[in-house]
Amino acid sequence: MSPSQQQSDAGEFQDPLEDYSHKTYDDPLEQALADQPVASIQATPFASIPPDTPIQEAIQQLAKLDVACFLVELDGKLVGVFSDRDILDKVALDFEKMKDRPVSDVMTKEPIFVYDTDSSAAVLSVMAVSGYRHVPVLNLDKNIVGIVSPQRVTGFLQQNVEDK
Amino acid sequence: MGLHQNMLNEPVSRLALREPVLCKPEDTLREAIKQMQQAKLGCVIVVDEQSKPVGMFTENRLTQLLTKGPAPLDDAISTQLDENWPCVQTTDPVVDVLNAMQSANVRFICVCDEQGRVTGLTGQKGLMEFVADHFPGQVMVQRVGCAPYLDREGA
Repeated sequence: MSPSQQQSDAGEFQDPLEDYSHKTYDDPLEQALADQPVASIQATPFASIPPDTPIQEAIQQLAKLDVACFLVELDGKLVGVFSDRDILDKVALDFEKMKDRPVSDVMTKEPIFVYDTDSSAAVLSVMAVSGYRHVPVLNLDKNIVGIVSPQRVTGFLQQNVEDK
Repeated sequence: MGLHQNMLNEPVSRLALREPVLCKPEDTLREAIKQMQQAKLGCVIVVDEQSKPVGMFTENRLTQLLTKGPAPLDDAISTQLDENWPCVQTTDPVVDVLNAMQSANVRFICVCDEQGRVTGLTGQKGLMEFVADHFPGQVMVQRVGCAPYLDREGA
């Protein structure tokens, strides 16, 4: 067996992290996702609450603002995410018992986030891999700059599909 | 073929469809919520005796209900259905899922066969997985750098 054959046989799996060079895509939508930063997906406005907000009050605010998710913020830093999934899982069947407790009791702690300089493809991959629908966007100082929601991602995709 | 063409040409059946939580119209809200919790899903599809969808109840609707106090857990689920619940067929192109989500401002899309029976559920996660397939490097970064894969569709 020649060295090149050995290389070929052993190289069936190509580690996608091996190549750090800028990749170009034939497909314009893939190129847009790879080139455009998260900032190009609409990430603002975003809604945030402090961690001691009572659950009932947070629910009222979610409904009033017609959003599905709050960023939970303490001193300008992200400490959690409170969404309608937390309400479904931890509040819905025990509302009377839970309504006056702080959102910090039921929020998703240490949420997965992206930096505003990451590629758009990165935030979609976070959604695909983690299953989280709402992904906070931070700057390099770890300050909150926004949130990417399902509606904003589909808007970005639809715009790029229509543009091509 | 690239992502753009694949979205226009590939059928919805190419998406990783999720097993939907199905309820009968007379099931209670409490039963529906328990099933949603167990399945880690943010919606249930209410079907008739022929497995054809008659409505959808989502976590968004649940949040709206809780603004008025405790949810009416013993009410029939059929009294609490969402107004917007788009359906696509398994043979429709993937881009129809994108358009349905965007135009109706929903996260879950009911998938039916050609006879109109529910065969699956898709939405944001299915669509993101389809897109992410084209970016294996980004997916690898997530798997290496973040928490292990979670079997959930939410938050």
